[in-house]
Amino acid sequence: MEGVDQLSAASIVAGIVAGDFSATEVARASLAAIDAREPHVRAFLQVSADLALEAAAATDARRAAGEPLGPLAGVPVAFKDNLHLVGTRTTCASRMLQDYESPYTATCVQRLLDAGATPMGKTNMDEFAFGSSTENSAFCRTRNPWDVSRVPGGSSGGSAAAVAAGEVTLTLGSDTGGSIRQPASFCGVVGMKPTYGAVSRYGVVAFGSSLDQVGPFGRSVADVALAMNALVAPGKDKLDSTSQAVAPGFLDGLDVPLARMRVGVIPALMEHESLSAEVREGLTAASAALEGQGAQLVEVDLPHMAAAIAAYYVIGPCEAFSNLARFDGVRFGYQEPGCATLAEQTSWSRARGFGAEAKRRQLLGAYLLASGVYDAYYYPAQQVRTLIVSDYATAFRRCDALLLPTAPTTAWHLGEVSDPTQMYASDLFTISSNIAGNCGVSVPVGLGADTGMPLSAQLQGPAFDDAKLLRIARALERGVEAAGRYAPGTVARLHGVTKEEVWPA
Amino acid sequence: MALTTNDVRGIADYARIALTDEELQEMTSYLNDAIELLEPIRAYDLTGVEPTYHPIGDLSNVMSDDQTDANGRSLTLDVALRNAKSTQGRAFRVPSILGNEDQKWPKGA
Repeated sequence: MEGVDQLSAASIVAGIVAGDFSATEVARASLAAIDAREPHVRAFLQVSADLALEAAAATDARRAAGEPLGPLAGVPVAFKDNLHLVGTRTTCASRMLQDYESPYTATCVQRLLDAGATPMGKTNMDEFAFGSSTENSAFCRTRNPWDVSRVPGGSSGGSAAAVAAGEVTLTLGSDTGGSIRQPASFCGVVGMKPTYGAVSRYGVVAFGSSLDQVGPFGRSVADVALAMNALVAPGKDKLDSTSQAVAPGFLDGLDVPLARMRVGVIPALMEHESLSAEVREGLTAASAALEGQGAQLVEVDLPHMAAAIAAYYVIGPCEAFSNLARFDGVRFGYQEPGCATLAEQTSWSRARGFGAEAKRRQLLGAYLLASGVYDAYYYPAQQVRTLIVSDYATAFRRCDALLLPTAPTTAWHLGEVSDPTQMYASDLFTISSNIAGNCGVSVPVGLGADTGMPLSAQLQGPAFDDAKLLRIARALERGVEAAGRYAPGTVARLHGVTKEEVWPA
Repeated sequence: MALTTNDVRGIADYARIALTDEELQEMTSYLNDAIELLEPIRAYDLTGVEPTYHPIGDLSNVMSDDQTDANGRSLTLDVALRNAKSTQGRAFRVPSILGNEDQKWPKGA
């Protein structure tokens, strides 16, 4: 079967239900796309061809037996490699977990499989999700499918790139400070960080437990909405005490513009000094597109935004230090041989198992939680969190969603940003919604005039208003398409790859 | 006051991460840069502001009966031990905790 990358998730399901093609044909087409493009993109750490063909055959058997098919029947999906799936390794792109076999399956993964999705494999990431470019993977550097000399963003860079390159239809990533939205922006796809608690974290390797949230990537808002339905439909997950019940109404009225839609803009952020000229141009176009769809733009403010990045780089490392203490080389993970004592074995297993950024974050967390230092940073960071929550509450009294940049620039070149604290600055516009626990989505709005790379805008909404946020995202997507700037479903063109057979013009 | 390599050696010991001398230099310079990035947190008057430790309030610890899960969510012994590098019977095997040289962990075991 040809052109599976041109189909939306809903049209794949419809085609299988109608008998136009089988789930097995779709899985084989996805495997063929992976074979052809992976040598240039390297989005995957593992391709689970056997699991995929088995799941697709089960879907085809259900159809043949006249049984009802799930809402994601036969849709090729892939999972960030910090999500457990039995039958695959869960490496977190770390030497520490290089050969770690998933002992159980994450709820978010299981829910997509229960909806009929076909699991194509596990995607690359920054080690333990520490990073913004996927260059911190211990195994390979994923390339941006729009220009293979550039990064895909991160930390969920493999999940963003696999969807952008048309290798699969949907992926899951995790977002602790922007790790879904920023790579979605760099790769020209839609990426959503749902409200904290909307998606179960059971089976997700923890980074920052009060910040982490799993969410979907797709080539259109409608595909992301379909995935959100599958993620929340079975209700609250008893295996995650922070899981909340969310109604699966993400497709209801998705195409109907919101009556009296008010979108908040923060002039100081829309004209922030860190923004490149093309990102500014994209934001202007996004504002116009929303106005064209009936939105009223209102000026609002998040006065404590400048403190958010500092609060994040206190809370994130402290929670990471605590969570990564479990990697001691005893029950799982790399174990240094030949050590005389348990303490020596622990220290050397962690020294050899973790990469540089994982060590940096843990040392920072260890320092910040030390006696005497705690009061100077950790406690104030939690107080700043209160101020940010309150800033958002004030802003959302005047608007349904905020329009913000996703990232200050388009995707940079591999190796271009090497200073870790400089890398942290690229999270400036995304972290505050993790701090507050509300929802955000990145939507492509065109291609940059200078770099030719995807431009995006970010929408953030109040906690548990995820469905409304996606309706506004759909309005933005529709407006951007009407302006001829970017069409939903667009597949990246692998610029920089010369072999014509890989990507026919 | 900037952190010294001695301070960072202490932090790394506490975090149970062995560092080479080269790494120690790199981590010291990193930690000082990172701490500078955190300074804005001290720029606000936070007097009387309550902390928010978690986006979802009213969380309480969840307890369950000490028995295997009826839905098969408990790990079997085989699965629980599968990812360990050193096991013995039903247990994870570790080197001496107190460092008795006579019980030295055999190299490569």
